[in-house]
Amino acid sequence: MSEEKLKSPMDRRNFLRTCSSFVAGGVALASGGLLAAKASAKEGDVFWQIDPYKCTQCGRCETDCVLTVSAVKCFHANRVCGYCDLCGGYYRPNVKELNTAAENMMCPTGAITREFVEEPYFEYTINEELCTGCGKCVKGCTSFGNGSLFLQIDQDKCQQCNECAIAKVCPSDAIQRVPNDHAYKLKDHA
Amino acid sequence: MRKLYRNIAIVTTIFLLALSVMLGVSYYQMQQVSPLETGVMETLKELNDTNSDNEALQQQIRELDLLSRKAYFVKEGQLKMGFYLLLGMALVLVVCLNLYYRETKNLPEKDFDPIDDWMTKSRARKYLGWAAAVVALIGVGFVVVQQIDWSNMFNKEILAEVQDEGESLEVNNESSEGSGEKVDTLATDSVKGEEVDSAEVDDMPELKIASRAFRGNNSGATSAARGIATSWNLSGKKNILWQSSIPKHGYNSPVITGRNVFITGADAKARELYCYDVWTGELKWTVKADGIAGSPSSMPKVNADTGLAASTVATNGEEVCAIFATGDVICADMEGKRLWAKNIGVPDNHYGYASSLLMYGNTLIIQYQNNSNAQILALNTKNGNTAWSKKSNDKIAWSSPIIATLGGKSALVVMGNPAITAYNLGNGSELWRVECMSGEVGSSPASAGGVVFGASEYAKCVAIDGATGETLWEASDYLPECSSLAATKDLVFCATSYGMVCAYDAKTGEVKKEHDLTTPFYSSPVVVDGKVYLFSNSGKVYIFSASTFDLITSFETGEKTFATPAFTDGMMIVRTDKSLYCVKK
Amino acid sequence: MRKIFTILLGILYSFNALAVARFPKPDFTSGYQYPDIVHGAPNELFWNILDVVLLIGMMGLVVWAAYKKRGRAIILSMSLVSVLYFGFFRSGCVCSVGSIQNVVTAAVDPNYHLPWYVLLVFLLPIVFALLFGRVFCSGVCPLGALQELINVRNFRLSRAVSATLSMIPWIYLAFTILYAATRSQFLICRLDPFIGIFRLGGDLGVMSFGIMLLVMSIFIGRPFCQFLCPYGALLSVFSALSWKKLEITDKGCINCALCGVSCPVDAIRAPQNSRTKEERWRGVKRIILFAILLPILTVAGSVLVGTQSDALSLAHKDVYLYELLQRQEANPELDEPLEVETFHALGGDIEELKAKVDDIRGDYQFYAYLIGALIGFVIGFKLLKLSLKRGRKTYEIDMARCTMCGKCFNYCPQNQPTRRAISSRTSITSKNNIPDK
Repeated sequence: MSEEKLKSPMDRRNFLRTCSSFVAGGVALASGGLLAAKASAKEGDVFWQIDPYKCTQCGRCETDCVLTVSAVKCFHANRVCGYCDLCGGYYRPNVKELNTAAENMMCPTGAITREFVEEPYFEYTINEELCTGCGKCVKGCTSFGNGSLFLQIDQDKCQQCNECAIAKVCPSDAIQRVPNDHAYKLKDHA
Repeated sequence: MRKLYRNIAIVTTIFLLALSVMLGVSYYQMQQVSPLETGVMETLKELNDTNSDNEALQQQIRELDLLSRKAYFVKEGQLKMGFYLLLGMALVLVVCLNLYYRETKNLPEKDFDPIDDWMTKSRARKYLGWAAAVVALIGVGFVVVQQIDWSNMFNKEILAEVQDEGESLEVNNESSEGSGEKVDTLATDSVKGEEVDSAEVDDMPELKIASRAFRGNNSGATSAARGIATSWNLSGKKNILWQSSIPKHGYNSPVITGRNVFITGADAKARELYCYDVWTGELKWTVKADGIAGSPSSMPKVNADTGLAASTVATNGEEVCAIFATGDVICADMEGKRLWAKNIGVPDNHYGYASSLLMYGNTLIIQYQNNSNAQILALNTKNGNTAWSKKSNDKIAWSSPIIATLGGKSALVVMGNPAITAYNLGNGSELWRVECMSGEVGSSPASAGGVVFGASEYAKCVAIDGATGETLWEASDYLPECSSLAATKDLVFCATSYGMVCAYDAKTGEVKKEHDLTTPFYSSPVVVDGKVYLFSNSGKVYIFSASTFDLITSFETGEKTFATPAFTDGMMIVRTDKSLYCVKK
Repeated sequence: MRKIFTILLGILYSFNALAVARFPKPDFTSGYQYPDIVHGAPNELFWNILDVVLLIGMMGLVVWAAYKKRGRAIILSMSLVSVLYFGFFRSGCVCSVGSIQNVVTAAVDPNYHLPWYVLLVFLLPIVFALLFGRVFCSGVCPLGALQELINVRNFRLSRAVSATLSMIPWIYLAFTILYAATRSQFLICRLDPFIGIFRLGGDLGVMSFGIMLLVMSIFIGRPFCQFLCPYGALLSVFSALSWKKLEITDKGCINCALCGVSCPVDAIRAPQNSRTKEERWRGVKRIILFAILLPILTVAGSVLVGTQSDALSLAHKDVYLYELLQRQEANPELDEPLEVETFHALGGDIEELKAKVDDIRGDYQFYAYLIGALIGFVIGFKLLKLSLKRGRKTYEIDMARCTMCGKCFNYCPQNQPTRRAISSRTSITSKNNIPDK
């Protein structure tokens, strides 16, 4: 008799439990289905990119990336470059002598180097290993030059965080996710 | 064996602790000192830009640069190595600990006490209930706290913080990381000028409040300065920090930025821009307006009083520009080097050109309204090139432009004859235009709370809604001839040249309070620290309350004052017809 | 620095507006060719597919290890694999814990792109939880695995304390939903304590917190999983309703009491009767009281959080910018913050911003009330649950708390019939603790 008495609360509890399991399962599957419908409707993968035309070179790309050395690097659009001797991104403004002395250089790590092509043109290249993404050369180039230097996220290094830490603090909202086929936002036109 | 594991574990723990502290500090340093961006380096580089061919300085920069770059990359590598080492050590520690505790399991106590389920649950309910109640109380607390008006307290805090920051930045710069002590002292000494000068001035805190144009920043006739003295005596040197003479005459008002006070003076021989030190009153440098293409060889005819330097200079903290009645515009940097100069055409002006300059970022605004060729000019302060210009058929005026916040955006407001016009600062496109002025317009407009106020003795006093250009009210009780209006959200202050001063209600235009002071005013009132400071032509100072316009105090200073004072942290700079002096409690 | 920036920004803006190159394209006569620079390729889809496959595989393995084999060794090795692969190799992103945010955002915003693998990474552990319990937590989640590997010796927290602290994951979950639904920020990503360790770099404050948690987890079992993890809160609901319940041994519990203190997260429930006898009507009265309190608490929670929605909305970038602009307008003498400078320099329209901010604040109102209700409801529900009496005949596992680490398996003598008694300190034939009838 006592066993029977014990049985009913157990049964009731089990019944409630089974019901709730089905409800929970249903909810999970339904929401899963709904979201899956949304998910499949979209294109492939998306990646973080900076819109070079919105970027204001505030310098936060260097300091706010979660990686110790920022994934943002300076890219050079050679086809836009003027190949000038007095490069706004290479030399500091009001530079007295056009040599590679430290006080005349814009880049704090010496990542931008140049090679003489022909008179009066010089080819400028960025060494990505040394570039920290501080944007000084970009600022100089945009203010005094053609704007062929621009900051961009190097997908090799970028961790594709769920929420880009730099995007959160970018004052001009220049960092967005772009789909795979637009993998790089480059300044290509002259 | 167990002892061995225990010993290894202890050693590893100590090692780990030490390593993590080191790494933590190193990582923190690397993040804080935005890599390679030491203030000292920047200062040195900037210094080099201006004083070129200083070999020693260049050598210093190169050494410092090499060191900092080495340090940066080495540190980067070190951090990575350190982190891996840390992980390895942690692994060893965990393995050791595991081996040490391997044999012992969590055993139940000897006299196994049955867990009192009910007791536990009751206690849990109690804890949970109390915790929830405390959190809820905190939440309610937040709601209550939000009702209190923190805005005023907050402002004071911000300003205090801002001043503190200025001081601590100064301290930081002097003790920042670099390659040695001598570098730091060289930097702070040389920043002041060519020669290494008196050292005690370096101890002064950085001044945060600037007064960058006629009647303050944006020509707004207000200042955020606090702690300005309300009485001083020139002869007895009471509350006077310094008093210096000015080489040449001019009606223009002083302009303050950082440690520099700018003023101009001119006569037939020369037109000059002076820079004084705000703490000592010493004349640091002079820049002449000479050798300018297009400059007239003979001076235009002007009133003796007005002179050739009636326009106040303007600065943006990097460049300072000045204009003279000859149409010469010069621009210098903070160290006294003339960057560019040009002549924009000799103003056809029978009293003498008097409109003051204004700067917005790197744009210099010139209200060039004379008998012919009236226009608003915007020049690039870096090179003097014209950014934009707006010609108009307006007649001559001696008013100065202001920058006001209209509809949430900054815009240029120009009062001329016959209209008050608002322009877009970026390209000069006209936002609105209200024809309300006539006669000789010498007073400048003011703005507060998105409303623009303008008045002239031969016209009326108007209030215009800044966003729409709609006239809100007009009044003609008391109108200024030369003195400009000052405004707060509630009151508009007006000083006339026939001795009346009054405060209009900013919303209705009704005169709230007036005083008959029987002495003319050319200088403009400025609202600072809850008070309105006003100088009469004879040099008598009147200080009113900014909320009620009651007269708080008045006293003679003994020197004729036509220029408007400028304010900075705790100090006021006044230009009289004889001298330039600084009032500080 | 700031001043230079403002000036240059003005120039930059005008340059962008004109979009004309200052210097003409060079005319090369020496046959110079433009270099072709190839930039690094972004992450391939392959890794994401591998993630999902491994997820399913590892969870399946854990199910087998826990239910069939009852071996902790397998589960421990899963933990190691998880820490190495999901943690260090894949840098712990995108994880199931964070996927809550993506899913919530996708549910709210039709334009948000939710990759299918993120959805799977969210759903699969829940499905497994519904079937088998918190299999994901055991060795597959890199965060849990890390704590598991480091755990050496357990000091138990009083059940009252852990019951109170277990409300924190729900509050965390509630705020995550709020901030994700209003598109303000991903709170979990911001406060993830272990990702700095996996990535070997990150915010120093959060990393220090993570290390502190790890040090704690040497002595307390899984502090993050028990007291912080929002996904764990979600999984515990589904796990409590799981189809299969884990038992310590399949040979039947003999009530020897040896496993009682073995669980690091205190998930084993003993069958003792309570010492404190309470009259039945008191207990019933309490249940009724809490049942009535439940809706009251829900409403109270809703109101408390909902009224703060304006203050909470400052977490959103646009609202914060708007506040900065307001403050700057009121006190023009203050230094302009960078955001305000950029806004003006790029020609921002404050009216447009205000309209956006109003929209966002509306959203916040709705969601703040919602999550407030959630928090209130959860607290009320827990109080109610703590008032219910549950009798047990044998040692049972509380599926909601159990993270399936497998430690208890080695304690049970039924699982090791060939070994001798663990120690002679405790006699297996101590008081037979079967509840009185």
